[in-house]
Amino acid sequence: MPEKIDFSKVSFLIVDENPLSGKLIHDILSMLGATAVRTATSVERARKLLRRDPVDVIITEYHLQPENGLALIDWIRNAPDSADRMIPIIMLTANSEEDYVIRARDMGVSEFLAKPFNVEGLYRRLVAVIARPRAFVNADGYFGPDRRRRQVSFGGPERRDDER
Amino acid sequence: MARRAQIIPPRADLKKKAVNLTTGFDLRLTPETIRKLEEVVHRSRDAFTTDIADRLMVMRRLVAETGPLPADQKALVAHVYGSSLEIKGGGGTIGYDLLTLIGKSLNDFVSGLSRLDERQVKVVCLHIDALYVVLANRITGRGGVVESAIIEAFGEAKRKFRADGDDREDIGDARDA
Repeated sequence: MPEKIDFSKVSFLIVDENPLSGKLIHDILSMLGATAVRTATSVERARKLLRRDPVDVIITEYHLQPENGLALIDWIRNAPDSADRMIPIIMLTANSEEDYVIRARDMGVSEFLAKPFNVEGLYRRLVAVIARPRAFVNADGYFGPDRRRRQVSFGGPERRDDER
Repeated sequence: MARRAQIIPPRADLKKKAVNLTTGFDLRLTPETIRKLEEVVHRSRDAFTTDIADRLMVMRRLVAETGPLPADQKALVAHVYGSSLEIKGGGGTIGYDLLTLIGKSLNDFVSGLSRLDERQVKVVCLHIDALYVVLANRITGRGGVVESAIIEAFGEAKRKFRADGDDREDIGDARDA
C-alpha cells in the first residue's frame, strides 16, 4: 500500500508580501486538506507568529521588505531565540537565478522552487520536506539541511586517517 | 582550526504524524488530484490579471511623474523592480508565460540601477506597453515568432542601454538586502 500524506496534520506558515500569491498557496494547501495555514507579509510578522506558535513547514518568498527571506532563514537556523532551528523551509520565489539559489541554500533553506511554479513542483517540495526529511549539518558557519543531494561513491583509495 | 561537522539525523516527528497508509494524498500525485489543484490555480487567474493590470498602471504613472531627485529615482527603480518581479513570478503561474518573459526582461533591466536616464525610461515604457498588449489580448503561453522577436529586442536594449549601469549603487535588487 503506498504511503500518503495527511496534510490536515501539518501546520504551515506562508510568508509573501503579495497577498495574491499568499492566497494562492493558501488555497492549494487547503485543497490538499491543510487546515492550519497562516500567512505573514513580512519577516518581522513571521517572527512574531512563530514565537507565539511554531509551525511544521514554512513557505517563504525571497523578495520581502524591509528584510528579505534570507533574514528569516538566518533567524530560524541561527538565532538563540529561534522558534525551532530545524523547521523545514521551502523558498518559493521569482528571484530564481543561480546566485539566489546558492545564497538560500547556504543559509539553510530546505527546498527551493522558482516562480512561476506549477502545482506538481510545489507538491514535490512538500513531499520532500514532510516525507523525506534530510539530515542536518552543524558546522563552522553553517547550520541547516545537508547540502549534498547525491552520494557519489569514491573509487580511489581512502587517505584520511579515520577512513583507512 | 575548523571543528568537524556534526551530522544531525533527520527529524522524524513530522513524518510520523503526517505520513500514513490510509488517509491523505499519495506521495505521487494522481492525474485527478493534479487537475483539482490546477483548478485552484485557474480560479485565481482573474485576480492575478487584475493585479498585474493595476501594477502596470501605477508603474506607468510613476515613470511619467517621477522627478530627477536621487531619492525619488531610487524609489521609482525599487518600485519597478518589485512590480516586475511579481509579474515575472505571477504570469507563468496562471498560464501567461509571455508576461513572465517580459517581466523578467524588465526586472533584469532595472536590477542594480539606482536611477533611470531618458533612454532607460523609454525602455521601461516599452516593457510596460508590451505587458499591456499581452494582457489586453489575453496572450497565454509564450506567444509566437513576433513575441520571441520582441523578447530578443528587449535583450538587445538591455545590452545597449545598461552597459554603464551596473557600477551604480544596487537599488533595484534584493540580493544586497
